[in-house]
Amino acid sequence: MAVGHRTTEDSIEKARRILRDYDGPDVRIMEVCGTHTHEIFRQGVRRVLNPKIHMISGPGCPVCVTPVGFIDEAILLALEKGCTITTFGDLVRVPGTEKSLQIARGEGAKVKVVYTPLDAEVYAKEHPEEQVVFLSVGFETTTPSNCLAVRNAQKDGLTNFSLLTANKTMPGAYEAMKDSTDLFLYPGHVHAITGTKVCEDLVSEGVSGVCAGFTGRELLTALAVGVTKFKEGKPFFVNCYPRVVTREGSPAAQKMAEEMMQPCDAMWRGIGVIPNSGMELREEYAAFDARKKFALPPIEGRANPACRCGEVLQGKIQPHDCPCFGKVCTPEHPVGACMVSSEGACSAWYLYGELAGKPLD
Amino acid sequence: MCVGLSAKVVSLKDGMAIVDASGAKRTVSAELLTNLNPGDYVMVHAGTAIAKITDEDKDETDDLMQQL
Ligand code: SF4
Repeated sequence: MAVGHRTTEDSIEKARRILRDYDGPDVRIMEVCGTHTHEIFRQGVRRVLNPKIHMISGPGCPVCVTPVGFIDEAILLALEKGCTITTFGDLVRVPGTEKSLQIARGEGAKVKVVYTPLDAEVYAKEHPEEQVVFLSVGFETTTPSNCLAVRNAQKDGLTNFSLLTANKTMPGAYEAMKDSTDLFLYPGHVHAITGTKVCEDLVSEGVSGVCAGFTGRELLTALAVGVTKFKEGKPFFVNCYPRVVTREGSPAAQKMAEEMMQPCDAMWRGIGVIPNSGMELREEYAAFDARKKFALPPIEGRANPACRCGEVLQGKIQPHDCPCFGKVCTPEHPVGACMVSSEGACSAWYLYGELAGKPLD
Repeated sequence: MCVGLSAKVVSLKDGMAIVDASGAKRTVSAELLTNLNPGDYVMVHAGTAIAKITDEDKDETDDLMQQL
């Protein structure tokens, strides 16, 4: 066996041992990112954690935090304005106030699933007779692709492409969530764009965190670093994903988002309005803003009162504490967004809950 | 939608890159990255290469664990 390989095995063994034998104070670690929630389950990371280490879900699944009213707006655009809705697949089954886009499809709505906003722009170019709207959700990581789609549409001279924006930014959510957790597991790909200054700044407010990647090895390492530092008792930040995340992030992505979009207040499903935590297109790009282009009225939307997504997204309860979980709410018949999305905490618990010692009834 | 994909750059043309992600070829935007060359590894998100990366997570995790 090569020496290098043995070294790797050793360091992962060490990480497992630290997490298994942890003897510091109880620690709540917030998985900000829904993909982290899923990967932590899927890779069996929870199995090695000492019972004093509590993983809690956070607000970082863009589909989950998209408010009910946004789905209602998309349905209105499709059914009343005759637009073609292009979207990431996860949004299709998210319940609106009365129905999901999937149900609206049965009533004649044209809804097309695309992998990227760039594909939506290409679709618009190929279908000049249709008014194509892309459902622009996502955090800092996705915003550059949305901007690029608008830029391509402008270059191609399209008048039939626009975004329905619900883009969000993370710093406001960190502020809103900082008292719910002892330690943030920061989402690696958000910070690949923003850099890590925001995490460093939070240290001066007493907020600790580690920035983590997504492989089993990266997650075990980040958690081991996190609990070891936590035991020392001083606030800290460690970038545990330096192969992707740098201190300055991506200046090109930041510049493009800044030039094309501006901050706005944003509604987070189940959490409420967080000031300046959203992004909308600037006035120069009003022709690509579906809300302005189609003069949409303000739509509030009403979530199903039985759904406790809001508490799940703030780490206040675990999905299995919701009375609907696994009974009336399943991935086939989701009551809330957290059960629909492939990054949602409720769907993670539904798929992998037994790995955490919480089997379904 | 938030899952990043690490991929190897096969070729570059007009701000776009053809990348190979575990055998699957895809065309992605390379506009956010400068000095990109075939053979480089990138993290792809929603159809855009967002960062240049090293291909392995091994070295950085070893370094971090050695510091503990
Ligand atoms: S289990 Fe379903 S109803 Fe309950 S919080 Fe999760 S998504 Fe909402």
